[in-house]
Amino acid sequence: MTTPTSDQTTGWIMVLPALACVAVFSLYPAMDSFVLSLYRLYVTLPGLEASFIGFGNYEQLFQDPVAHQAFLTTLGFVLLSTTFEILLGTGIALVIHERFKGRGWVRGAVLIPWAIPTVVASQMWRFLANDQYGAINFVLFGDRVNAYIPWLADPWTAFGVIVMVDVWKTSSFAGLLVLAGLQVIPDGIYDAARIDGATAWQRFWHITLPLLKPALLAALLFRTIDAFRVFDLVFVMTQGGPGDATQVIQFYGYKTLFTEGRVGYGTTISVTVFVATLLLSLLYLLTVGSKLLERERT
Amino acid sequence: MRKTFPERTALITGMLLAVLGSLLPCLWFVLTSLKSQIQVEAIPPHWWPDGSLAFYRSALIDHQLLNYVWNSAIVASSTTAIALVIATPAAYALARLRLTGTPWILGGLLCVAMFPHIVIAGPVWQILERLGGLNTHWGLVLPYVALTLPLAVWILATFFKELPPELEEAARIDGCTAWQALYKVILPLAAPGLFTAAILTFIYAWNEFFFALLILTDPAQQTLPVGIALFQGEFTMPWGEIAAASVIATTPLIIVVLLCQRGIISGLSAGAVKE
Amino acid sequence: MLLLTFVSAIHESSAGQTRNANTVPRVLRFVTWKADQPAVWDKAIQRFEHAYPHIRVEREIAPHSSTAYHDLLTQKLKNRDDSFDLFLMDVTWPAEFAAAGWALPLDDYFPRNAREKFLPATIAASMYARRIYGVPSRIDSGMLYYRKDLLEKYGFSPPATWHDLVHQARTILEGEHPTHPLLRGYSGQFQQYEGLVCDMLEFVGSHNGSLLTEDGTRSNLAAPESMQAVRFVREQIVQRIATAAVLTYQEPESLAVFVQGKAVFHRNWPYAWGLANDPRHSKIVGAVGVTTLPHFAHGSSVSALGGWLYGISAYSHHPDDAWTFIAFMTSPAMQKHFAVHASLAPARIALYADPEVLRVNPQYTALFPVFQTSRPRPRTPVYPIISHILQRYFSRVLAFPETDIVEEAQEADRRINWFLELAAGTRF
Repeated sequence: MTTPTSDQTTGWIMVLPALACVAVFSLYPAMDSFVLSLYRLYVTLPGLEASFIGFGNYEQLFQDPVAHQAFLTTLGFVLLSTTFEILLGTGIALVIHERFKGRGWVRGAVLIPWAIPTVVASQMWRFLANDQYGAINFVLFGDRVNAYIPWLADPWTAFGVIVMVDVWKTSSFAGLLVLAGLQVIPDGIYDAARIDGATAWQRFWHITLPLLKPALLAALLFRTIDAFRVFDLVFVMTQGGPGDATQVIQFYGYKTLFTEGRVGYGTTISVTVFVATLLLSLLYLLTVGSKLLERERT
Repeated sequence: MRKTFPERTALITGMLLAVLGSLLPCLWFVLTSLKSQIQVEAIPPHWWPDGSLAFYRSALIDHQLLNYVWNSAIVASSTTAIALVIATPAAYALARLRLTGTPWILGGLLCVAMFPHIVIAGPVWQILERLGGLNTHWGLVLPYVALTLPLAVWILATFFKELPPELEEAARIDGCTAWQALYKVILPLAAPGLFTAAILTFIYAWNEFFFALLILTDPAQQTLPVGIALFQGEFTMPWGEIAAASVIATTPLIIVVLLCQRGIISGLSAGAVKE
Repeated sequence: MLLLTFVSAIHESSAGQTRNANTVPRVLRFVTWKADQPAVWDKAIQRFEHAYPHIRVEREIAPHSSTAYHDLLTQKLKNRDDSFDLFLMDVTWPAEFAAAGWALPLDDYFPRNAREKFLPATIAASMYARRIYGVPSRIDSGMLYYRKDLLEKYGFSPPATWHDLVHQARTILEGEHPTHPLLRGYSGQFQQYEGLVCDMLEFVGSHNGSLLTEDGTRSNLAAPESMQAVRFVREQIVQRIATAAVLTYQEPESLAVFVQGKAVFHRNWPYAWGLANDPRHSKIVGAVGVTTLPHFAHGSSVSALGGWLYGISAYSHHPDDAWTFIAFMTSPAMQKHFAVHASLAPARIALYADPEVLRVNPQYTALFPVFQTSRPRPRTPVYPIISHILQRYFSRVLAFPETDIVEEAQEADRRINWFLELAAGTRF
């Protein structure tokens, strides 16, 4: 490059608008939330003046059974949905990686659940899961209407439905990330293995899977972070019920912050979600990621 | 390469399962939108609708769906345009100008992209209240731009890195500034990358619900996801109307996805694996 | 009548004044929700603007869901937004709005003798700490709808007690199931949302229990009367005569079941009457009866109070204009307009003797006692918090059959008391 110093300046000018935008609408709000979480602040009780209470809200959070349940529900949701999504996604990736006639259409079809708005998918599955005329009940029970199950009325099945809809909607996204990993594996390796007489399963287990690990890790990370933010599904399908069985943490935070007006406590919940996401991502990177690095070194 | 019989069977089964699993539920909803109220609630279900457009009429006229479509179109296209205008030079600088701290910036952007929405929602609301941006389209576009920038920058930076450096170097030696090189040399070559980033940003803004719910409370300003989530019937669950509204909200996306799956796939995997 | 003469006096004088005044009309901004019958509202506002040409009303339309609307309005008020002058408040909000200083006290505008013209429950709901913050636009109360044809077929008269109701429902289901397998005994609102609090308040109250103690300072869920009612709902209503599906129902879903002829009994607000008798929506036109909700053997019927109040923003720059508008909209003539054209039950007592109102809404005669004795939900500035705790408690004990009601009730009591103390200033 001709003039590196002026390039530095131009470069910064080019990056600045993006950084400014992100700083104003993401970084500053996140820090502001953290500051607010150190205050006792009730919108509807101005008599209780906003007072700095340090980590008092966090202490309260540790003793709040509703928050515990919401965290566990979210964690269960994250673990179950990401596991199924990675498994199904890998399957999808293996299929759409093959060359066959009409592959473009198949790829497009598989992407449709990912592309439709979550709100639409939620309404759609709420209808399919209807207790009187839902297609799911008809497929399972036919005309025996008395056997029909109100899926969203039972705490366990309602939770199951939420997980299922998320898996339906985002497996193909996980599949795409895995596909990207498949595409960088050179075909030559497989040919050699074939000549050695390895079965398809052996080839998958001993060649594809180890080489796929970075892609799987990426898919896992992306899905985990996103699953922690689940909100639309719960808002449309269950409103957190029955009995808080589907109340995920982002929905609880929303209710606390915007309906109850508990600003200090609500931001405490949201900051905690943030930290939890960060920790879980680090954990993945350290456990799965470090093994990955070791393997690469050897 | 020839496949053995079991391999073929497995492939075909997998393909059928994936395609049917993805499409059948949607297809059922599409059929529902074309039924009459009696057919919607019938058990056993009427597989074939009688082709009534009553739900579409009701969704479009009684529930003013076009209004929501219009709002979504404005918000999503403005978000896309602004995000790209900001992201393109940033991505170029990060990919080509050897800016000091590039890894930190890219890493930081990725980090910001994973913030839970709830952690920024309250303060963003207050900023917009102060700026008078609540219940306005631009008030929603601003946070959307901030939320989609990281992904757009990543996609574009990955794309720019893969372009051959020779052309650009020649231009720089001829005395072009960095801006001119970006504008004259890189952009024409980067059209597919831009297109991919644009589609993904558009889909994000078209589908986003959480912020739209908070910021747009006036039904005249609301976007489609909010309209569909808060769709209410006075007397019964308006499944037919919801289905019709969903079909209208989703059709443009499905067309885009079917036509551009190649670009979407390469764009989504950018940064995830190749870095 | 004092208020009426007062209103019509302004009405005439201002109409006279402004005819020759060239001033630009002052704008009054009114936050309201998307109405079910927008034309009726448009007409009412037109009539106001015609009567008061110097005031123009601009409406800011919010979502109809009470919770979504609440979140929007409180966010605005929290930021001392002065861009609007008045709003509709749900009956559960005055305490919160008053304590936060968002709603203007209306004592000077709305004196004691004018309040006496309104149903007492609606006035009680508008009060907080001895001052009044709202003017009732209408009244909503929970009531029992039933299938007249089915009850007659089995020789029953409408149930007086909840046990009667269960007994009748079981007899009818037994007889009808061979030909009508989808029929349920009861359909109400048991999803985890605000409506659940209303439905449960009615059961608990009619068992001599209550959500809060009489003075409103302590939670009363673990009192035996309160817990027994909850246990009855779990064992006799949800698990026996309704199906578990009621746990997913809000008003529209539960009404849909009833108007499709799939439920013997149905709990809903007054608006359901018109829809259940509208042949475009209902398969049971003419077969619908409505009556007071049942009670338990030792209690008396309790009906949850719903409905909307007009309030003036504390940040409004035109409180007098806002009051002119409210006085007009809540005048006998306008409440009659809403009762006749939109079947909204008037908050003014005198209209229940008005022949035109009764011609359109003959059911009001039977329901008037219900309107007179409706019970408000807890009145406290922290109601949104209390409501979430109540929703969680009721939903948990109804949806998890194995939960221990005593334990859950005590837990809910403990948490509610914590917030009540905080609001009362006795904590910290």
